Amino acid sequence: MLHGISFDLQDGELVSLLGPNGSGKTTLLRCLAGLERPTAGSVRLDGVDVTAVPTHRRGIGLMSQEPALFPNRTVLENVAYAPLLRRSSDREVREEVARFVSLLRLEGFEDRRPETLSGGERQRVALARTLAARPAVVLLDEPFASIDVELRAELRAEFRRVLRELGTAALHVTHDREEGLFLGDRVGLLFDGRLLALGSPSAVFAEPPTAAAARLLGYTVVRDGERERAVHPADVRLVPVGPGARAATVVATGTTGRESLAVLALDDGSRLELRARDGAPLPDPGTQVAVAWDRSLLLPDGRPLPSGDRPAPKEPKRTESLGPP
Amino acid sequence: MTVRRSELLFLLPVAAFVGLFALLPAAALFASSLAASGGVAGIRAVAENPLDRLAIENSFVQGGLSAALAVAIGYPTGVALGRYSWPGRRLVRSLLLLPFLLPSLVVVLGLEDLFAVGGLVRGVVPSLGIFGSGLPGIVGANLLFNVPIVALFTATGCAGASRDLEESVATLGGSPARAYRDVWARPTWVGAAAGGLLTFLFSALSFAPPLLLCGTRCATIEVRIYALDKGTALAPNAAGVLALVMVLLFLPATAAYLFLLGRLRARPGARASPPRPLPWRRPVGVGLAAVTAGVVVAEAALLLAVLYRSVRPTGGGSWGGAWGSLFSAATSARLGLSLPAAIGNTLLFAVGASAVTLLLGVTAGHAVARRPGRAGWVGLALFVPLLLSPVVLAFALAGFWRPILGGEANVWALILVSQGILALPFAVQSLAIPLAGLPPATAESAQTLGAGPFLAYLDVDLPRVRDGVVTAGLFALALGLGEFTATYFLVTPRFTTVPVALYNLSCCSRSFALTDALAGLLLLCCLATFVAIEFGGRRVEL
Repeated sequence: MLHGISFDLQDGELVSLLGPNGSGKTTLLRCLAGLERPTAGSVRLDGVDVTAVPTHRRGIGLMSQEPALFPNRTVLENVAYAPLLRRSSDREVREEVARFVSLLRLEGFEDRRPETLSGGERQRVALARTLAARPAVVLLDEPFASIDVELRAELRAEFRRVLRELGTAALHVTHDREEGLFLGDRVGLLFDGRLLALGSPSAVFAEPPTAAAARLLGYTVVRDGERERAVHPADVRLVPVGPGARAATVVATGTTGRESLAVLALDDGSRLELRARDGAPLPDPGTQVAVAWDRSLLLPDGRPLPSGDRPAPKEPKRTESLGPP
Repeated sequence: MTVRRSELLFLLPVAAFVGLFALLPAAALFASSLAASGGVAGIRAVAENPLDRLAIENSFVQGGLSAALAVAIGYPTGVALGRYSWPGRRLVRSLLLLPFLLPSLVVVLGLEDLFAVGGLVRGVVPSLGIFGSGLPGIVGANLLFNVPIVALFTATGCAGASRDLEESVATLGGSPARAYRDVWARPTWVGAAAGGLLTFLFSALSFAPPLLLCGTRCATIEVRIYALDKGTALAPNAAGVLALVMVLLFLPATAAYLFLLGRLRARPGARASPPRPLPWRRPVGVGLAAVTAGVVVAEAALLLAVLYRSVRPTGGGSWGGAWGSLFSAATSARLGLSLPAAIGNTLLFAVGASAVTLLLGVTAGHAVARRPGRAGWVGLALFVPLLLSPVVLAFALAGFWRPILGGEANVWALILVSQGILALPFAVQSLAIPLAGLPPATAESAQTLGAGPFLAYLDVDLPRVRDGVVTAGLFALALGLGEFTATYFLVTPRFTTVPVALYNLSCCSRSFALTDALAGLLLLCCLATFVAIEFGGRRVEL
């Protein structure tokens, strides 16, 4: 269920919503696309209420995690689908298709069928097809989740470039914090159907509103008396036992290839990551150590936000909203 | 997923068709017959009538025996087909569907060509002649139709068993027998049971085999109803009451079949267990292979016998001589019309019925696409007319619609409708099952690109089940080409079809050569349709 989500999307802006599985990301996109009906609230496009407008007339494009290409059509035919529906002339269709084929670097793929394409190629075709429909807004539902890790960075950059070049507004949802923080002009945090924060990536990263949000952003949450603190692994270091240091036990050590990593268990039971700096050796598992951190964030006291409340947006309102009428 | 109630409107045409041409006429028939027979007294009269009781007993005996043997033979065949891979498996799986498409008369004649006096097998092994007539012959004919059904349903059950779970049992120390018991026995036996129940219904309500192989002493309820309405007894009200009793008697079996069929259908999105190599060196592999080979040999023998006798009739004669006589004036006089006219009638009715079936199936498909629950109950509802059986369906249609239609439409329209009703469940299943299994994302993408829901269905969903559409149409065509029972009830000489002509030649004129030649012709037509279905790797779902 979604609760009191309200935000705006400006022309040409890309907003990323970051949330764990089950937070309502896909449901939100489906509501915006008209594939689900919200029980309350409205969707407005340039001030016009489109909540009751059926999907095919709404002018909002949607790209799913799995590219839902038409399997019995070629790449060209997939991209040409919407222009043909618009009954554009043959010349217009050809020009439109050629434009998006070029934009997404799909030259040479025109006559191929989806099953012969790689995951990344299929997603580029899906984006070309979505953009050829000239949507006012593009919704991206974890479009890189099924892409190999080594190709993701390249594809993310390409998507961002294309959307910027076209000036198309986009709403992107993901559970991958790196992806969300990288892509979004603004980033929102979605938990249990509620939008807990919305702001610039650095602002959101610097001020997680809850412990769960902090964890999603890569922090570890440790108890500090009655309150909780968010500590980033990059800020943790081994120190001699003394004032200000926290006792911990090394649980496991390993390497990520480039750096050594240790998992520590603090006295309150929470787990903390420690990254070795400058190739320094890490203690063996079972060793009692002391740790400190250069920086930490004191989290809000943890009470749930009142229904309907949300962190105040920092940017002026305009385009798209899903909120109380 | 958003519920679009407007999609339910697309179920109206098929609901109206079944309602107007099956349920309403049947209800009217039962009501009027009961009223005319004194209500419960009419039903009591059935119970007290020795001929009616004999018909009921014959139905249960023939149905029960056929079902039990079909399961005994069909289950191992189905396991071989569904669980294991071996050379020729796909071809055998397709060939096993062929008897289902064959006209019942052709199967009976094939049985006689093999086992009756002068039969090809009887000449070599005289003791097997018992299958040429009587109860053994009837059960033999039923098995030739229905063992493939049990096998294919069992194979579907195999596909639904989880291979991951089997492997887990093995890694936990469970033997293959344990894996069978805990993992794949249940789905396969659900399939076999569904197939067995369908066999029971088809066999208990069969018409041509008991009539041709045994006569009135082996008459099933279907034959008895026909005799009461059309025969010398001329007791249509008694026929109507017996038809109602038949529906009530077989309702539990039908309900059980529909329940198991619902369980058997693969869950949408669930991956079928891939087959594994047949263990040729182990006794179980040898056993499965032997039973499957036996089934294939029996089916092949039947078909070859019919084809052989069509060119080399029982009692001698020139090779292929009877084929020329098929088109002679003497044959036309026997049939009441020329054979080309009969062929024309057959094609007209079959093509018309399959067109109607296909249109209804495609329309209803929009309501079931991507909705497995809806596909389930639509498919089940369409099977209800089968409970009426072809004779009762024709009987009800004639009683209800003839006073309304008038003229020649009384005949051709009702024949077309009856063939459509009988083909509808199987043809629509070929469409509904793949449609219900479609993932929604592609059609939703089409909608986000500007295609309305029905356009997205026509443009995106239907092409993805193109094989199902073609199969549905061809399946309906094949069933129409071979349909005999309902057509025989409704037909007049002007609209005689080839199966009816075949029956008239075989029972009434006793012209073996012509009968065999015509059976061969009919078989070739069905074979051609079968090849068309299978060309390009299409598969029919039962």
